[in-house]
Amino acid sequence: MGRRRFLQLGSLAAAAPLILPARLRGAAAPSNLIHVAIIGTGNIAEGHLKTLLGYPERVRIVAVCDVDRERRDRAAALVDAAYGSQGCASVNDFREVTRRADVDAVWICTPDHWHALIGLDAVRHGKDAYVEKPLTFTIEEGRALVAATREHGRVVQHGTQHRSMKRFFDAAGYVRSGGLGKLERIEVSIPPNNRFIGSSWTPEPVPATLDWDLWLGPTPWRPYHSAGCHYNFRFISDCANGQVANWGAHYLDIGQWALDADGGGPIAVEGHGHFPTSGLFTCATHVDFTCHYANGIPMSCRTRQEGGGTVRFIGERGWIDIARNAMSASSPDLLREMQRPGKSVTLARSDNHHENFLDCIRSRAKPIADVEIGHRTTTVCNLGQIAMTLGRKLRWDPVTESFPDDPVANRLRGRAARSPWSLV
Amino acid sequence: MVGAEAGPNVDPWSQIVRLEHGGDGSFAAIIREQVGRTPVAGLAKLETQLLRALADPAVTEAGRGFLCSQLALVGSAAAVPALGRLLAVESSADDARVALERIPGPEADAALIAGLSSLSGRRRIGLVGSIGARRSPSARETLSRLAADVGEHAEIRAIATRALALLRPASTGPAA
Repeated sequence: MGRRRFLQLGSLAAAAPLILPARLRGAAAPSNLIHVAIIGTGNIAEGHLKTLLGYPERVRIVAVCDVDRERRDRAAALVDAAYGSQGCASVNDFREVTRRADVDAVWICTPDHWHALIGLDAVRHGKDAYVEKPLTFTIEEGRALVAATREHGRVVQHGTQHRSMKRFFDAAGYVRSGGLGKLERIEVSIPPNNRFIGSSWTPEPVPATLDWDLWLGPTPWRPYHSAGCHYNFRFISDCANGQVANWGAHYLDIGQWALDADGGGPIAVEGHGHFPTSGLFTCATHVDFTCHYANGIPMSCRTRQEGGGTVRFIGERGWIDIARNAMSASSPDLLREMQRPGKSVTLARSDNHHENFLDCIRSRAKPIADVEIGHRTTTVCNLGQIAMTLGRKLRWDPVTESFPDDPVANRLRGRAARSPWSLV
Repeated sequence: MVGAEAGPNVDPWSQIVRLEHGGDGSFAAIIREQVGRTPVAGLAKLETQLLRALADPAVTEAGRGFLCSQLALVGSAAAVPALGRLLAVESSADDARVALERIPGPEADAALIAGLSSLSGRRRIGLVGSIGARRSPSARETLSRLAADVGEHAEIRAIATRALALLRPASTGPAA
């Protein structure tokens, strides 16, 4: 993005009108539809977009935004075809949608390094936000997003949709109710990173359809390479934390839920990882860390070469292993018990992550994966990343969100953004 | 952890100044590991090595960025003068700011504020963001001036206004 363009948008920000969301216009308003903009229209956004198009009586997608013109135009065409109109805006810069008075909520589906800044800009401009996981790239970003969400009275749903799936609801409630007897440990498994293009790479020309400067945003500048952009960003440590923050965010989230740690977290973390020493993809190819909680229960996160993600709860009565598409147990009886209603601990329930968010936009209640919950789960991912980076056991204070005795670890809680971006 | 390219007799500190985007990153990996694994008592020596490499006239743009990213983790007041000089130059300002924003203490506060006299455009906006991110009470006067100055870019005034609301009370010490 050129400086002139940035300055134009800055002036636009200063002149932004008072925003009155659709839900505040009253029943007599011309439209009670929730007006949505999709920011980031790649891989994960396509699923969200198609899901939202399935709620024509509740949602109207009014804009799509992507720094890749081909992608955003394709998404806009999909929306227009579904609505039989030409009304979906297709824009390059997220600030063009966060400043639109007719946008009520945004879906943030960009690479991880953008989640916090776009989320902050959205809530500051009166938008509710669905933020794909991980909530943010760093711990400090997450805390800033929680604070701004509360300050501006917005609803922010974290994209950990396992919270809205019955089997995970059942599992977390079962464990919390003592179904496994005394809980001994939690083991999260995640798939490996599988990207490699060699120990060196040659920069490529930026495609004419891509705004590379805006794609990089707050992350340190580097030249373009086609293998280091869409989707693969998650294996580049300047942009993401690998599979820890990808699949790990889903399953560590259920562990946090089962541990009743949604407002807190572990008190120590240790681990080690195998990090590529050269090449484009720098996130850990093998992950192994363990978080220790105040109740004495450890939750580990490890790479496994075969199979996808899973969370296993191990207690004195046996174990249950829950994945998105499968579940198993040391005894079939445990799974039968787990799925029965009437547990002693009743958790908040959602059967549909999108509908839960849409309901909360109307009710102003906190969604099932509220921003604080998302921040705490993402923090677990970050703690694992930091412990693996430093290779030593770290004490963590979940109240102050700091490492009590490790100044280097504390500096890894955040990072300075490339100009002109900042968390403030 | 050490890359195959880095032979046992090659000094990574002599190679790091030649780091290029897309090139052999194994020397950076060695230094990154040293930064991560060095006990607190050894950080000052490590900082000296980082600063010595940073001062090498042959240091590449990628090398400078990498060295500053490591100073962000272990830099102290001793690193501030060199970083302050880099901050004043547009082409190196972002690299310097990456380090200065994370270095605790009044020296880094002052260096960032001093940088305002040198930078304009997007780098000035980023600099104000860094000053605000530190939440240092010593920046109150500067941020107040920026917030009220109609000659400043609207984004700078907005950042300064938000930063003022985030300032730590004057009685508290620097951020860890």
